[in-house]
Amino acid sequence: MSSRTRSALLVALAVVLYLAPFAVGTEYRLFIATQMAAYVLVAVGLNLLNGYGGQVSLGHGALVAIGAYAVAIATVDHHWSFWPAALLAMLAASAVGAVMALPAFRLSTWYFALITLGFAEVVGGLLTEWRELTHGFAGVVGVPKPVLFGHELSSLDLYWLALTLNIAALWGMANLLASRFGRALVGVRDNPVAATASGVSLVRIKMLAFVVSAAMAGLSGALYAVQKTVVTPDDFTADFSIFFLLVVVLGGAGRLWGPVVGAVVFFLVPELLAALQSWRMLIYGTALLFLMLYAPHGLVGAMDVGWQHLRKWLGLPAVTPPPVVATSRQTVEPVAGEALSVQGVEKRFGGVTALAGVSLEVAAGTTHAIVGPNGSGKTTLLNMISGFYPIDAGSILVDGRSVVGLAPHRIARRGVGRTFQTPRMLPALSVLDNILLGAYPAERQSALSATLRLPVARREQAASLADASRYLDFVGLADRAHEAAGELPHGQQRLAEIARALVGRPRLLLLDEPAAGLSLDELDRLGELIAAIGRLGTTVVIVEHHLELVANICSSVTVLERGAVLASGTPAEVFSHPQVVAAYMGTQAGVGQAAS
Amino acid sequence: MDPDLLVGALTAGSLYALVAMGFNILYRPTNVFNFAQGDLVMLGAMVGATFITLLGLPWFVGAVLAMLAVAALALLEEKVAVAPVLNRSATGHGWVITTLAVSMIFANVVGLCWGPDPIAVKPPWPLSTDTFEVLGANVSTYQIAIVAVTIVLVLGVEAFYATRPGKAVLAVAEDRDAALLRGINPNRLSSWSFFLGGGIAALTGVLAAPVLYASTGLGPALLLKGFASAAVGGIGNNRGALIAGYIIGLAEAIAASVLSPGYQLAATFAVMLVILLIRPHGLFGRPEARTV
Amino acid sequence: MSGTALLQVSGVDAGYGHVGVLRGVDLSVPAGTIVALVGSNGAGKSTLLRTISGLLRPWAGAIAFDGQAIAGARPHRIIDLGLLHVAEGRRLFRRQDVHSNLELGLYGTRLDRGEEKRRYDFVYDLFPMLAERPSALAGILSGGQQQMLAIAQALMRQPRLVMLDEPSLGLAPIVVDQVMAVLQRLRAGGTTILLVEQMVERALDIADRAYVMQNGTMIGGGTPEEIRAGDLIRRAYLGAVSDRAAS
Repeated sequence: MSSRTRSALLVALAVVLYLAPFAVGTEYRLFIATQMAAYVLVAVGLNLLNGYGGQVSLGHGALVAIGAYAVAIATVDHHWSFWPAALLAMLAASAVGAVMALPAFRLSTWYFALITLGFAEVVGGLLTEWRELTHGFAGVVGVPKPVLFGHELSSLDLYWLALTLNIAALWGMANLLASRFGRALVGVRDNPVAATASGVSLVRIKMLAFVVSAAMAGLSGALYAVQKTVVTPDDFTADFSIFFLLVVVLGGAGRLWGPVVGAVVFFLVPELLAALQSWRMLIYGTALLFLMLYAPHGLVGAMDVGWQHLRKWLGLPAVTPPPVVATSRQTVEPVAGEALSVQGVEKRFGGVTALAGVSLEVAAGTTHAIVGPNGSGKTTLLNMISGFYPIDAGSILVDGRSVVGLAPHRIARRGVGRTFQTPRMLPALSVLDNILLGAYPAERQSALSATLRLPVARREQAASLADASRYLDFVGLADRAHEAAGELPHGQQRLAEIARALVGRPRLLLLDEPAAGLSLDELDRLGELIAAIGRLGTTVVIVEHHLELVANICSSVTVLERGAVLASGTPAEVFSHPQVVAAYMGTQAGVGQAAS
Repeated sequence: MDPDLLVGALTAGSLYALVAMGFNILYRPTNVFNFAQGDLVMLGAMVGATFITLLGLPWFVGAVLAMLAVAALALLEEKVAVAPVLNRSATGHGWVITTLAVSMIFANVVGLCWGPDPIAVKPPWPLSTDTFEVLGANVSTYQIAIVAVTIVLVLGVEAFYATRPGKAVLAVAEDRDAALLRGINPNRLSSWSFFLGGGIAALTGVLAAPVLYASTGLGPALLLKGFASAAVGGIGNNRGALIAGYIIGLAEAIAASVLSPGYQLAATFAVMLVILLIRPHGLFGRPEARTV
Repeated sequence: MSGTALLQVSGVDAGYGHVGVLRGVDLSVPAGTIVALVGSNGAGKSTLLRTISGLLRPWAGAIAFDGQAIAGARPHRIIDLGLLHVAEGRRLFRRQDVHSNLELGLYGTRLDRGEEKRRYDFVYDLFPMLAERPSALAGILSGGQQQMLAIAQALMRQPRLVMLDEPSLGLAPIVVDQVMAVLQRLRAGGTTILLVEQMVERALDIADRAYVMQNGTMIGGGTPEEIRAGDLIRRAYLGAVSDRAAS
């Protein structure tokens, strides 16, 4: 269905939901609906963190608790109005969320899950212990209803408030996910190395996801407090957190509507299974297990798959998004290439010396190859230039400035782009989205402007899309733009990866064995592509085994053997050097003949 | 500090170290961290308590039966919740949720079968929980036994890893493909590790029952403290877990004597976090090399 | 060429995920010989070895070892039959010492003490530098020593056929000499060897027969003299242009 139809349907749905209470509303139903809406808020935030970002948090229940208590304490003990109290709730939850996130940067994913569980338990304990603040076991009683323009909100008003917040949250989330941040987050989840090479700071993105999800949990807590009017520690056991994870997984982690579907099902089922109350955890646990094993993309994922089968069965044509057309046929703009200077670089792994004092110079705007037998240290050198490996000794200057000790994403932001020996794509995203990830270092829009779809964000997104389309065209993949990157054959993934590196407008491009595994035609295209990139002015350093390709497109070559430079100069000089021939292939015939 | 607290710390610390060891044994060949481990310990306690107190079987018989039962359950967990997820994606984290799900199931089952009331378990003769004075502290023979048994078990498990099957487990943990090429079957080793880890968990529960009471609340508390010990000691390192267990136990004891009991968990947690942030691989762990 | 084919590969297709790597590969290794498999990087040589040793399941084709069909069989079963694979990059257990690595080479065997000792002696005799430091951690050995250890580990099982993937990788020429000498000694003792190499010259020096791979298919095979005299190597290493210029 077109996006117009979809928007119309969504608006219609919203209208129905707003008006529904007049038809079927009872106090009880309003209460349940409002509570469900509060849960959806948390779940949407947690989906951002867990579904899209791949971080498992078992502590979000505690963040809801903090939000709820913040509102309760502020309105009951300090007579604040609800609205600033709700803001306080969001800030408090965000602050705690940020603290909770800190260990995530140094520890691996599942460590982190346990630490969040620990946080949840600790917060639970503190809620009981810190009696002066939280009133201990008895909790905070008598949370007043919010007052808006002198009118106290009824349960119907609360429902409308919750509904509005939900709609706003889903809209904002959709915007955020469609922006550079959404892509970066999926990068953090599916291929952190690729994301880093595109200039994404993993730490910053994770922190963003944490803070946003924490703020939403805090806001949900605020709603919770005014709805239940009594807030006690018992409401917020560790199980509470697990429920949210269940809702996200049940609905479909990494799907926009997952949290909504999950919350609805989660709420309806206990109503139907009231008799099985004491079997609740067993049922939830079994459901979770079943889902992870057989439907890892939850209900929304299963519905998607079902819908595809139905379409096929009904004979409906597959939905093709509009083709990507490069908006202007002119060649892409020229680039001011950066020079590369490597001096005396050394690297050891355990007892093995990978690089024993390598030096090379690449003039700006030239195309330079690093060749040598397997194990000679070529990829290690590339990894060190791009910052993925620390160096043991020596210096590396890009454009005259040292990059030693810089984090890889910072080096990427200095204009150094790279590809990898095995293409590192984000398989779940489309080819176009993968390439758009490459625009990350050049884009400037803030998360806030992306969420609110401010004109400045929209303009930048359109510009990036135009760029990406152009480069997609440049590498010849325009017709594959909307396919999932994981489905692409190897050679095309490689070309897509190069396009991704190009979108960032690198001034120094490092290509790691780009020709490996390519067919004859693809090799041709690759050669032309690299030559074209060079003509733009970009400095290109290419690690390769295909000596023919190297001889055709490079102006200078360095030969490495067992971690040291064996020879360096023009291709003709280097390839007729007898030592090089001997070291590389062991045959006397071959390279000299072909190059001459 | 009150010497009684020190004794309590050593005892509790031993139990945490045992939980941690159960984790480590499961973790080694699979790189999976079992969220249901606390529940396995609890199950061991409840099953053991049933056999020993309710059915009147001799302590050792009850303990062994409990170990076998829980080991079988752990094996079932591996087959149903861990292996399928690992087979789908060796590097994914789906097992976090599946082991969590298993934990929920176990917890509910224990609650349904045994109800909320704890069962008292007496230590085996000639040990007892009656205390006598040693160097100004009140110690019971049972507490001494716990500390001793823990040390023996840790040394025993370490010795196991020096045997050929043990080395094979370490090999699988280091390089699964290379292990395959040397005829090692990682799946079989994973199953056995879960069986063994389950047995150790059950033993921990049975040992803990006389001092901590066999009850349904045992699970989550031990999960976190066992994890803390494993993490602080360095995941996979059992000797480290032992020392870390004592550190955690000590931190707890000091917190209890200085702050009110409710802050105990927060204090212990804070200690763990500080240590992990300074040394993310634990006090005795080894950082892994990065590859691009 | 004397001896029946100990290892016979026929029409094998294989790949990773959606990506096909091998197409219709044929290879035959007679017993008691050294067969070299050469070709440039990315030609599929390692993939072929992984398919033979069971790490990868072939999509089509047949693989027979000593008359037994092994395509798609589990790695440990193939090892039990006597076919061992020394993987690329010296895949050792670096956190364990030399002796433990050798011991793991015996995993799954049920030999008496005497036989085990004989195996250790055999291997330590063949590689004296390992005998000097049995408790050194594998991770801190030099590249050459690690390669020797990797080969030794496989030899503990007294395999009938050993497949080696680029043993010369990153090694100094003199160490490569030593490795090649070891392979020749093994052949003299009756072990069959399938040697994948990028260093063509070295491999052809000791091989009885050689195959050349390019882009996932076998583009030719023959005796070392035939291979040296012909055009295959140049095509395999220099790729596209030479092919097209010829057609």
